[in-house]
Amino acid sequence: MPGEVDTDEYEDVWVFIEQHESEAAKVSWELLQKGRELADEKGERLVALVMGEDVSHLAEEAIERGADEVLVVEDPIFEPYLPGPYGEQFSELVEERKPDIVLIGGSHTGRDFAGRVAVPTYAGLTADCTELEIEADTHLLLAKRPTFGGDAMATIKCVEHRPQMATVRPGVFDAAEPDPDREGTTTEVEAAVGEENVHSRVLERVVGDITDITDAEVIVAGGFGTEGEFGPIEELADLLGGEVAATREAVEEGWIEAARQVGQTGKTVKPDLYVAAGISGAIQHLEGMNDSQTIVAINDDPNAPIFDDADYGIVGDLFEVLPALTDAIRDEQEGTA
Amino acid sequence: MSREWNIVVCVKQVPDADDVSIDPDTGTLNRSDAEAVLNKPDYNAVETALRLKEAVGGTVTAVTMGPPFAKAVLEAAVGLGADDGILLTDRAFGGSDTWPTSLALAASAEELDGDVVICGEESTDSSTGQVPPGIAAHNDWSQLTYVEELEPRPENDELVATRDIEGGHEEVAASLPVVVAVGFGMNEPRVAGLHRKIFSETEFEPEEYSASDLGIEESVGLAASPTSVGGMDTADPVEREREMVDSVDELVDKLQSEGAI
Ligand SMILES: Cc1cc2nc3c(=O)[nH]c(=O)nc-3n(C[C@H](O)[C@H](O)[C@H](O)COP(=O)(O)OP(=O)(O)OC[C@H]3O[C@@H](n4cnc5c(N)ncnc54)[C@H](O)[C@@H]3O)c2cc1C
Ligand SMILES: Nc1ncnc2c1ncn2[C@@H]1O[C@H](COP(=O)(O)O)[C@@H](O)[C@H]1O
Repeated sequence: MPGEVDTDEYEDVWVFIEQHESEAAKVSWELLQKGRELADEKGERLVALVMGEDVSHLAEEAIERGADEVLVVEDPIFEPYLPGPYGEQFSELVEERKPDIVLIGGSHTGRDFAGRVAVPTYAGLTADCTELEIEADTHLLLAKRPTFGGDAMATIKCVEHRPQMATVRPGVFDAAEPDPDREGTTTEVEAAVGEENVHSRVLERVVGDITDITDAEVIVAGGFGTEGEFGPIEELADLLGGEVAATREAVEEGWIEAARQVGQTGKTVKPDLYVAAGISGAIQHLEGMNDSQTIVAINDDPNAPIFDDADYGIVGDLFEVLPALTDAIRDEQEGTA
Repeated sequence: MSREWNIVVCVKQVPDADDVSIDPDTGTLNRSDAEAVLNKPDYNAVETALRLKEAVGGTVTAVTMGPPFAKAVLEAAVGLGADDGILLTDRAFGGSDTWPTSLALAASAEELDGDVVICGEESTDSSTGQVPPGIAAHNDWSQLTYVEELEPRPENDELVATRDIEGGHEEVAASLPVVVAVGFGMNEPRVAGLHRKIFSETEFEPEEYSASDLGIEESVGLAASPTSVGGMDTADPVEREREMVDSVDELVDKLQSEGAI
């Protein structure tokens, strides 16, 4: 077992800025917001880490959004993302600079390489957190995550090892807004990885528009009960200026893109209004939408569990209820206009 | 250089999610009598392992780390067609977080001379998804996570995967040895054949490895786990109206009076 560490040597809060083709993933800005809070509370600095090929503009943006310092590692080996080079470079930096806390987005990319950093550095890694706090007396990171079923929250601590690492679910924190007057330093770091760290190669990458449902004020979601017919869902979403979302079941069927999946392995959303149609209400789905202001459920099974977690429920065929609801709302809107 | 592959599939025993209910009065989790079952995403892992073997040749060995009764998930895997099963069981493993858990699985994959290690996307009880990258990191092997399609290229000692990424997918070629985490639902798991199932339940006995068999007794268990559980709170259940409405017009009224539309 690797030896214990002197925890006092470790300081600062780090945030990994995930980027693809020089565009930052929104979860990175969410982490800067939260990271800023944690750093202020501990009286330490917030450091952002950017890796890629043409990413210096992201360094500036990270400072505008709250970072005191940005470590930039530019090298073609980091484009596109591969776990070997990212993990190795990140581990090197951790060992050399000793951050106290490291936050990484809980996206597929973040979850793919967080372990590749935590294992060699012997860090304490808490996956998929939804709350982060600093413990008052110890200054330890309290990483909270929903456990089994999302009905309980577990608090995970890392007392004797450093850094304290966490991946954080996208959509749970608000993104930091840019302030063009903020100042910080940019530090260029030489890439410390070579061909021996590359165990794989990307043959092809197909990325369309990255839809973002996490900021939507209205969401109309469909599940297996739609049988792939999302028309009525889209119509209501359009009328209300909202976004379409779905269960994992609907995504697996190929009816809708994965970026619109809500739940434990999808996005966390908290709109003012969430309409769930043809969705049974599995705990893994509820976990992603439970913080919505008002939840409406439409299901033809009166015993569907979703009704227990809804404000208003209508038992009925979604292909009848949804169009009728769309018409009724349209009438109201026209009437009051 | 083409040869047959040693395929290791990691399977975990978890409480049956369908048996876990929420007590409507107290709002707490009721899983005391939940049966222990094979982690659902691991069925996709076993199916993937069996198909790889069918394509390339070789053996499929199921591995689980857990208490002695976790043997049941090895039986399930052998019933589905795995050739053998290994039980990593030892008091010393108790309290392991993902760091030592992935170490133990990594060490057994080395011991078995594994070419490919297949895992599920995540476990339904701890749902970290961190064990597969952890195994790869401990052994410094390549990794493929969130895999939706898998194609073996034995002539190159490679696996080519289609991975799910934000906004789309990518195709990645990884050299062996490699750890794969397959997407939950990526394939249609087969049903165990009757004879194989009977064999697995009556004749099959897994080989057991202890921590010292793997030479990792100093590096597992609670003491070797960087993280610890600092507490457990019942999440404040969100208060919902739970009101059934009979007509769309009534619903529109309600939503309007709330300002939701
Ligand atoms: C590790 C893991 C992670 C997971 N992550 C997620 C996740 O992130 N998000 C997620 O959503 N799920 C997730 N799941 C899957 C989850 O457990 C459920 O299987 C899934 O949410 C069910 O989707 P569904 O409600 O669309 O389908 P079903 O459960 O099949 O429900 C369909 C519903 O539609 C109703 N219906 C049918 N026809 C009609 C009609 N014409 N009109 C009205 N109602 C109708 C039925 O009564 C039924 O209630 C995960 C599972 C695991 C194991
Ligand atoms: N104790 C274990 N024994 C065998 N495999 C495991 C164990 N824990 C995790 N795994 C594997 O790792 C995957 C991801 O689990 P987790 O990281 O716990 O979410 C599972 O689907 C299994 O394939």
